[in-house]
Amino acid sequence: MTLKSTIARATAKSAYWFLHTILHRGGTSLPGKLAVSIDPNILTTIQKDFDLVIVTGTNGKTLTTALITRVLEAGGYTVITNPSGSNMVQGITGTLVTTKIKPSPNGKKPIAVLEVDEANVETIAAAIKPKMFVLTNLFRDQLDRYGEIYTTYDKIIAGINHAPEAVVLANGDSPIFLRGDFPNKRKYFGFNHIQAADYQPEVAPINTDGILSPTDDSVLTYDFITYANLGKYFSATDDFARPKLQYQVTHVDTLTPRYSTFNIDGTPLRIEIGGLYNIYNALTAFAVGREFNVTPEQIKTAFESNAQIFGRQEAIKVEDKDVTIVLIKNPVGTNSVIDMMKTEKDDFSLLTLLNANYADGIDTSWIWDAEFEKLHDTNMKAVATGGERYQDLRVRLKMAGFPDQAVYEDLKQIVTAIKAFPTRKVYIAATYTAMLQLREQLGAAGYIKGGF
Amino acid sequence: MTDYNISVAHLYGNLMNTYGDYGNIIALTYYAKQIGVSVNYQLVSLGDHFDNENFDFVLFGGGQDYEETIVAKDLKNKAQQIKQYIENDGPLLAVCGGFQLLGHYMVMANGQKVDGIGVMDHYTTNMHDQKLTVLNDKRLTGNIVIKNNDTDETYHGFENHQGRTFLGAGERALGTVVSGNGNNGMDKTEGVIYRNVYGSYFHGPIFTRNGNLAKRVLATALSRKYPEIDWTDKLNQIETETF
Repeated sequence: MTLKSTIARATAKSAYWFLHTILHRGGTSLPGKLAVSIDPNILTTIQKDFDLVIVTGTNGKTLTTALITRVLEAGGYTVITNPSGSNMVQGITGTLVTTKIKPSPNGKKPIAVLEVDEANVETIAAAIKPKMFVLTNLFRDQLDRYGEIYTTYDKIIAGINHAPEAVVLANGDSPIFLRGDFPNKRKYFGFNHIQAADYQPEVAPINTDGILSPTDDSVLTYDFITYANLGKYFSATDDFARPKLQYQVTHVDTLTPRYSTFNIDGTPLRIEIGGLYNIYNALTAFAVGREFNVTPEQIKTAFESNAQIFGRQEAIKVEDKDVTIVLIKNPVGTNSVIDMMKTEKDDFSLLTLLNANYADGIDTSWIWDAEFEKLHDTNMKAVATGGERYQDLRVRLKMAGFPDQAVYEDLKQIVTAIKAFPTRKVYIAATYTAMLQLREQLGAAGYIKGGF
Repeated sequence: MTDYNISVAHLYGNLMNTYGDYGNIIALTYYAKQIGVSVNYQLVSLGDHFDNENFDFVLFGGGQDYEETIVAKDLKNKAQQIKQYIENDGPLLAVCGGFQLLGHYMVMANGQKVDGIGVMDHYTTNMHDQKLTVLNDKRLTGNIVIKNNDTDETYHGFENHQGRTFLGAGERALGTVVSGNGNNGMDKTEGVIYRNVYGSYFHGPIFTRNGNLAKRVLATALSRKYPEIDWTDKLNQIETETF
């Protein structure tokens, strides 16, 4: 380690200490910025201390990264990871330079598992040669801020090209990941839970993107679709088809809003969170764990002994109401949440909150690509709308066939809104800044501790 | 069962569907249902034949650049039928990429020029075009309000495009920009009206946020198919959503 990098690291650590201990503020961006300003090559210098796994894609990065961390720890590795939200260059640098890396209990090299924003993959990969790229999925996402999905994938490929030795472990159910010209070894995970006799070949519904064959740009047919553009696909015009999967979900037993049970490569597993999409996150973590020789038993233990990490979908109590809060930010995520609500056996009410600040995406047109009409297939008994853009949601739900809605223009009325619902179970689906405001209200009313 | 129905074609709905464009059909169906009209939806995509006589309304939405190049090639095979549909006064809503491809050509952000089918007279350059006098190299993104000069109606929406469209002979703007940027940021035009074709850069989608326009287009489609009935009067009796 050079003197410059030692100073850079020391400065970042004291800045981190000052922020966290004296000011009680989170965040790793400022320490990262300081370290880079003192030694621009700081990332390259520290990379010998660990192997890097980059996790990227549109949805599920945070939970997948958390799960991979627990799985690798269960396998005896020391793991460094970045906190949720710190997935851009500054934050990642901050995380890496301020963490004291202990030797792995299993004697192997420690692993850094980093959730990396799609547009930042290249910068990180150029500075630190990753051992593995993990690609979760690509959906359209807040197009006022991000590019189109093929452009996004090109950015990821630019990063992959910096590390030809790295394994690319990709979601094989996503046809876009079969594109791209790079020499890396590719491995795939996916779903194979439906018997061939039960295949019902179909093209994806209209509001699905990324459904063109990499060979001739024809529209792909699916033997089955798990959700959005994910499933077992083939081309009707040539012999292109989903590749062989190295890791697969072979059986889905139970889907409930609170937990799912399923089977990956012969291992029965349970995760304490609802939604088929979260089984993908577990599958991804399973695949990474197996790649690093973590045993299926250790992975199972990792999932079962860390129930609290499934925290993003949050359950709280407001008087006699059981409230579940979920984040919505794009059509695929919202459809997945609605699919999860279809597995709710009890009557419930739904409060939807829409804001259009920068962090939410300032274009609200995506709500028309989400299939709120499917709420008719659930046990939903009442629906209400709110948030700064309540008007958009009110009309969206009205045109989806829900004319009777309570409308809350002011988020200060949220507690009132929850109490007014006719059912004991309440779901709140909110965009990012609406969720922050909601948490503040619930915190002020004493229903959640702290806040953040 | 309803006695009246209209057939809607969604051109390349599985490829050109990026900004909630399908919401326009949701809105149209919502109003139609209230006056006893059912809507038959049909996706018309790559390799499918588009027969102009089969439809009462056509939606051609916007897409991502990659899909748009694929669609542009296939669209040539449908050009003749689309032209006939338009010249026969068929109602059509074209948004963003769909609006661009009905014109002569469009230039993508990376400089790639993509042929339109030229059934309408506008053309689209990109944000790097030297002849632009404002907002060079910038996407036109944000809330937008325009006024339809024919009807005095005001429309609200959200625009997000890099392409700069310039209208041609026989085309007039859907509206004059009150706030926001419009077709090119320079001439205060937004969208296009040509016969019964409405083009726009509005996401929102335009019919969901501007019920007045949705009803107008629906009335046009219905009057073309069932001229004996006063559809405008029927539509005036139901509530218009505007936000």
